[in-house]
Amino acid sequence: MISLKALSKNPFKSFLIFSSITISVMAIFLISSISQGVIGMYSKMIKTDGDIIITQRGIADTFFSNVDISLLDKIDLIPHVQSSYAMIVGASPVGHIPIAGIYGVSTNHLAHYKLSKGSYPKRGEVLLGKTLAKQLPGRSVKIGNKRFRVSGTYTSDIGFEEGGVVMNIQDAGTLFSRSASFILVSSDTPSHTDTILKSILPLDDDIEAKTTQNFVQEYNQFKIIENSSLVISSLAFAMGLMGIASVMSMIVNSRKEEFGIMRALGKSRLFIIKNLFLETLIMSLSAYLFALILSLGILALLPHIEMLQGYVNGALSTSTALYVLAATLFMAFLGTLLPAWFASKTDPILLINQGCS
Amino acid sequence: MIKASNISHFYGNEQVLHALSFEVHQGDFVFLSGDSGSGKSTLLSILSTLLKPSKGELLIQGSSIKKGTDLDTFRQQNIGFVFQFHYLINYLSVYENISLAALKEKKKNINGLLQELGILELAARYPNEISGGQRQRVALARALINEPSIIFADEPTGSLDSKNSTLVYELLSKAVKKGTTLILASHDAQVENYANKTIRMRDGKIL
Repeated sequence: MISLKALSKNPFKSFLIFSSITISVMAIFLISSISQGVIGMYSKMIKTDGDIIITQRGIADTFFSNVDISLLDKIDLIPHVQSSYAMIVGASPVGHIPIAGIYGVSTNHLAHYKLSKGSYPKRGEVLLGKTLAKQLPGRSVKIGNKRFRVSGTYTSDIGFEEGGVVMNIQDAGTLFSRSASFILVSSDTPSHTDTILKSILPLDDDIEAKTTQNFVQEYNQFKIIENSSLVISSLAFAMGLMGIASVMSMIVNSRKEEFGIMRALGKSRLFIIKNLFLETLIMSLSAYLFALILSLGILALLPHIEMLQGYVNGALSTSTALYVLAATLFMAFLGTLLPAWFASKTDPILLINQGCS
Repeated sequence: MIKASNISHFYGNEQVLHALSFEVHQGDFVFLSGDSGSGKSTLLSILSTLLKPSKGELLIQGSSIKKGTDLDTFRQQNIGFVFQFHYLINYLSVYENISLAALKEKKKNINGLLQELGILELAARYPNEISGGQRQRVALARALINEPSIIFADEPTGSLDSKNSTLVYELLSKAVKKGTTLILASHDAQVENYANKTIRMRDGKIL
């Protein structure tokens, strides 16, 4: 009650704390959600299309991996292999678009991309993702130094794939000078995955084969994204913390007289600390809710921004929301700790000294 | 009631109180008088437990006020304050200001006390919505709500006109008649008409 009244009586300073928490919480929400979204999309792409992934040995990123596509024939002969396909992932300027994802896929995987117009690409042809097609309306498109005929457009459940180009793996091989970035293998039953994995490894000394589950967990790029997200979130947290601490210090300083009155009236130091914590808690929780709503709005808008070509996508999980809530409460607690401590130490004698005649 | 023995106080190297000893009894109206810088505010601060004396001993109701005493509870149960600038919390209503100071079992008496002081109709108003005289009456109500055994008043009429000053003195005298001890520091010679005991101070000494 007292805390609510104190907040409403200091609207500007309350607004400063509220804004500071909202901005930091929103930054933490967005960076965590976007990184989770990017990781989620790529993981989904890999996990849903196979149980085993084969890449070049010792290569940190699938973009630089080169695996011999002829392995597909040998893999298909391994018992319990249901299907296998090769893929090249790369990035290149496409028409006037400075950079777009290029997916070179073997013919048996083209059906993964749902046709919304036209037909699947033959040699010398490309299929444009729905988002990219809006920006490239022509019948042909220049990729690298070569011009390709546009055979149609596709949609995909994975956001960033819609901002890319699908082509025949042979054309992609010429474009990026490689055989395949990776091979994905599906087993007929999950219990045979390990047996298949053991049979694949001896086929080529230059390959690494992992279950897609393990690959996603160990993939360096994901770790880099996660760590970068953690660093940026920590910075946002620190900025929020400093914001709360500095505004709370200002508030405590301007309300010294009030704390002196409370001390003179026999209110304990704990009473003052508790009330200041309650004030920050009220602001933190409302700022958290406000930031959550804003973040959900922004995340909902992101996939519809053509300029981003579907590459920036956010996924806000319950665990992220709870983690950010805990971070917000911790930030509020930490930011209020020292100012509240000093407020509680206000010497009521100042009330007599101020009136001293 | 209050026994001060050899109370001395220093601010740095400067001695502002010189071995003061005196006694105040239950129901006394003590007028603490003296010029600016005479040490009366420092003495009032020490007697009201807001300041620890550098030397000497202070006994209130037979208990020694020393390190380790739970002053918060002691103040809330035994002491009422009236300051020169009323010091009401501006975001709390008149009622809430008094309620903040009130012990749980005394909260039910707030309206009765406001009625007695003639400010019941102001209960829902905020300090900035009432006059200076009314604010000081609210401050008085806040000091009286827990029926303290001692009230310390520091220049309580310093910012009031003579009409309101007289009203405040009369209200304080009324509390004294009910058995409350009052120690009032002031420049106003009019207080002498109400007080039964005067402590005159100069340069940190009792004259």
